[in-house]
Amino acid sequence: MNDTAINAPVLPHGNAADRIASTWLDYWFTPADARPLAAVRILTGLLGLALAMSYAGDLVRWFGPGGMLPPEAVDGWRPRVGLSPLDSVATSLGLHVFFAALVAALVAVTIGFPSQVACVVAALLWAALLNRGPMLAGPADDCLAILLWCLAVGPCGRAWSLDRVICDRRGLAAPRPSPWASTSLGLLRIHATAITLGVLCAQLKGDDWWNGTAAWWLAAGPDAPFVDLTALYRRSEYAMNLVTHGIVAFEILFAMGLWFDASRQTVCRAGLIAWPIIGLLAGEPLFGLAMAIFSVPWVWSWPR
Amino acid sequence: MALSNTDRIDHAIIEATMTPPPESPPPLSDTTKAVVSVALAAYLIGLVLSIVGNSVSGSSALVRTIKGRLFSPWMQPAWLDLGFDHPFTYGFPDDVDHTLEIRSRGNEPAAMQFPGERTGEQAARWRRLARTIAVAAEGGNAPPLTAGVAAGSFADMGIEDVTVRVLRRPLPEREALATDSRLRQPHAARVRRVADEIQVIELGGAAKQAEMAPLLREPTRAAPPDEEEDGDE
Repeated sequence: MNDTAINAPVLPHGNAADRIASTWLDYWFTPADARPLAAVRILTGLLGLALAMSYAGDLVRWFGPGGMLPPEAVDGWRPRVGLSPLDSVATSLGLHVFFAALVAALVAVTIGFPSQVACVVAALLWAALLNRGPMLAGPADDCLAILLWCLAVGPCGRAWSLDRVICDRRGLAAPRPSPWASTSLGLLRIHATAITLGVLCAQLKGDDWWNGTAAWWLAAGPDAPFVDLTALYRRSEYAMNLVTHGIVAFEILFAMGLWFDASRQTVCRAGLIAWPIIGLLAGEPLFGLAMAIFSVPWVWSWPR
Repeated sequence: MALSNTDRIDHAIIEATMTPPPESPPPLSDTTKAVVSVALAAYLIGLVLSIVGNSVSGSSALVRTIKGRLFSPWMQPAWLDLGFDHPFTYGFPDDVDHTLEIRSRGNEPAAMQFPGERTGEQAARWRRLARTIAVAAEGGNAPPLTAGVAAGSFADMGIEDVTVRVLRRPLPEREALATDSRLRQPHAARVRRVADEIQVIELGGAAKQAEMAPLLREPTRAAPPDEEEDGDE
């Protein structure tokens, strides 16, 4: 008998309310392996560093004293509660200290020391940066914020981390599956679905995603993929239609497949390849990578 | 009692092969599960309302009110109030390549373009900023952002009188034999500092000619419209 069976909550299965309660508790609190979270943590830290670096070159030009985006200029683009602690940073030195703290937190997330605290700090600093200039944020930034908050819930530093190395040196044994890992993985799965459905709904409001021409506009756009596909699409309308419908079809399959045991691993393996390709086609490569990171926990059957 | 050699070897083997028992996490109490369940349920409701309330199609007054009062105050600062409404393209003018240009109006004209030589996500952030100004100009909401962008460039330009333009490069039609490479100008404004006040004088695009922005507090004579014309470059 495995740990899951031992630790699963035992509830009477008499009526619908009990079954719902049992399903809820199973989903959120059945002890789970923390290694998938560790893999997500490392990849999230690297993604965060890449996104943070895209701010580095223009940080002072945007947010510094006398910068192009003073708080009063961006107030119209953020809600009343969307204020950022960065609004009160009035010097270039303060801005650089803030940014150094963000980078340090993301490095700490990547190496896993101290893992959960680093995730919370990185999430708070990242949110502060995005709230400072919301018009600069893109879909990959949203995904990073979600990933960091999800990781902060679970024991993401119990494997493949400096935290683990320190525990090993102290002679502490490898940890057993944790209910908090299940909570964290559950949140990741729900957000992977929510983001995919959000993107899907937004796409299906436009005619181009129905008549099969969206792939053309993506290929001709400013963030077009590295390979010029416009020549192919000019030659073959069917190829253009296939790419457009293929993106939509994959998103539907991914959002649904995550919720069935029989299909979860398959769609996640497909997601590991398909999401980066969609990201490249859409001119948002880091968004594609972020969505691939959401797939990672279910790509393998993690051996004991 | 002294141990025999055999006993000593047995003890050594047992000690060497003994590993510490697995570190067992304390099981969650029912109270903890109940508290976490309530928190998760509240968050999931907030997540649904965020998606519904941040749609490009708008949202109902009911959703806006519930989300605004109960969820946005803690979800927005954490950057969790998200709609994930990223269609990537509708083939609309908003989806095309946007460039921000700042040009000085002195005797020695100088110009800065963004994203310029930047690439990747850094360039994408400048394009988002330029697009935001262009879209805001359609609703007449561009002056605060235009003023901020221009004022932030005064030091680099060496003069406190500049023209800010957003330029659009239209996407080529698939059936078109030749690409229309002419830039569009959805927004242009002259921005200057006069007596410590920032004046924004909209020049063209979606804006009205020679209109004073509300940033102007003191009554000052409006500058004549710029020679640059509305519409195509």
